[in-house]
Amino acid sequence: MEVIALYGPYLLFSGVVFGFFMAWGIGANDVANAMGTSVGAKALTLGQAIIVACIFEFAGAYLAGGEVTSTIRKGIIDPELLRDSPDLLVFGMMASLLAAGTWLLIASFKGWPVSTTHSIVGAIVGFAAVGISADAVSWSKVSSIVSSWVVSPLMAGTISFLIFRSVQNLILNTEHPFDNAKKYVPGYMFLVGFVLSMVTLLKGLKHIGLDLTFQESFLYSIVIGLVITFIGNFFLRKVENTYQTRDGVVFDGVEKVFAVLMVFTACAMAFAHGSNDVANAVGPLAAIASVIESGGEVASKSTMPWWILLVGGIGIVAGLAMLGYRVIETVGKNITELTPSRGFAAELAAATTVVLASGTGLPISTTHTLVGAVLGVGLARGLSAIDLGVVGRIVISWVVTLPVGAGLSILFFFALKGIFA
Amino acid sequence: MKSTSFTDLIKKSPFGPIQAHMNVSKKSVEELIVFIQSVINLNWDDATRSRKVISNLENQADTLKAETRALLTKSLFLAVPREDILDLIKLADELPNTVKDISGLMIGRKMEIPAQIAPSFLLFAKEAAAISDAAAEAVDHIDELFQFSFGGNAAIKMQDLIEKLDSLENKNDQSEITLRAELFSIEKDLPPVNVMFLYDIINKIGELSDRAEQVGHRISLIASR
Repeated sequence: MEVIALYGPYLLFSGVVFGFFMAWGIGANDVANAMGTSVGAKALTLGQAIIVACIFEFAGAYLAGGEVTSTIRKGIIDPELLRDSPDLLVFGMMASLLAAGTWLLIASFKGWPVSTTHSIVGAIVGFAAVGISADAVSWSKVSSIVSSWVVSPLMAGTISFLIFRSVQNLILNTEHPFDNAKKYVPGYMFLVGFVLSMVTLLKGLKHIGLDLTFQESFLYSIVIGLVITFIGNFFLRKVENTYQTRDGVVFDGVEKVFAVLMVFTACAMAFAHGSNDVANAVGPLAAIASVIESGGEVASKSTMPWWILLVGGIGIVAGLAMLGYRVIETVGKNITELTPSRGFAAELAAATTVVLASGTGLPISTTHTLVGAVLGVGLARGLSAIDLGVVGRIVISWVVTLPVGAGLSILFFFALKGIFA
Repeated sequence: MKSTSFTDLIKKSPFGPIQAHMNVSKKSVEELIVFIQSVINLNWDDATRSRKVISNLENQADTLKAETRALLTKSLFLAVPREDILDLIKLADELPNTVKDISGLMIGRKMEIPAQIAPSFLLFAKEAAAISDAAAEAVDHIDELFQFSFGGNAAIKMQDLIEKLDSLENKNDQSEITLRAELFSIEKDLPPVNVMFLYDIINKIGELSDRAEQVGHRISLIASR
């Protein structure tokens, strides 16, 4: 208790700094995977991608990031058990941020495909189980999170497979692919707008003073879907059929229609990423802040201070603007085989899955979901060559990340405890 | 742990080097026509120059074949069966090899093509070149086929190309019969060993057409899966 009273403001300040730095790291590295697909498919220029990412990452974080943040903050560990020792919660969350940050730094230095989500969840479970007691961890919640890591790529893969199959049947395998593309692409646009707003509205926007019933949400979502379709149609009308070549590969005008669609799925992807991944940075910060602001009370019922999502949103945008553009460029260059008709299917599937997870408060890895989605397109024979060896390496990296994140956070936890207590 | 990013998942299409390979094969068959023309004109300097070009093209083809195979690592999941692609490149690689054989044999023996059969001989070779052109066009269309998921208009276009290939091959078979008949009618007046080798060259050019046709068929097989 005394620790909180004594060092409260300093602890909160360093929490904000660590949280901001994590968000910055997510913006610098992670966003690239979400946006690179669109840049690689030449649906967006690099500059446009940055603008789209800034706006929609922030919107996703602020409007739909609350659920996952609250899971990280008070879903993984039982705050009730820490009622008598709020300082431990503060140290633990601080240690988790430090551990995940350190591990991500090492991993990105070595080029390992490590997930921010897995690092932070591993870190929180680690300090809680070893530093406090195994009972402090809500194992049922943890197991549902871990199983969501298996389910989310599978789900994204299934959705992208089905979407791409529908594209094959409705557009590509027909006599007039270009005309059919113009006819059916608005339908996919509607889907993008409807699904995203439906999930976001259903989950609730009470924090910005919008409290809707199911019927209202449904209606509003349809309206938003239609508005997006209308805007999309405006741009679609300008697309003319041409026979163009790029890098020696022949592309029909069909891809240009999908490129328009891909602008919308890119927005969706950024929104989804913001809604899920910002929590990795600000979830621990939210836990620290609520303890300190209440003067040392572990209040599981108190609502989350919304300025915290703001810190996360701004952090992501800052990382993106300072370093992210370069990573996006690299990712985009390496991913040219993913043409708009394929890329959109992968993005829409991944965005849908991630937003659904955000709505249910499950922290999942956007990148892994995207990997699942790309595999789905590949299984529908949409990609000429996919390296399954990469999937194996990604699985290994996430299996390794959990114990490493846990170990590091245990280390930092005892160090902090030693310094302050 | 190797450095891995999410983008490593998507690999370069193996079709690219195959198309480049087929383009080289096409050029080598076209050079064979230039070569035969020089031989008919008894211009051995030009023939030697052509032979060098053919030899270079064959080397290029070998490099591209190796490149294609290197792309096809075991861990890949491909839109088209791996065996089909390997078969395709193996078949296609026989074109520049056969061209090199033919030109090597002809230049090594300073083979003269009797004036009586020269027009038919040249026609026969030109038809073989036309077949390899058509096969190369089919190979060039793999991208389009793939873009449209092996269906729709792209598949119909491919069918048309294959039909064209078949009719060219039929015509070529007829020309071979004519050429053989012409050679048969004058063979008793020629040195027997020379005649033997002329028949051998005719066989090899026939083989060239067959291989080119098979390349086309392999692609239509890939397309129909």
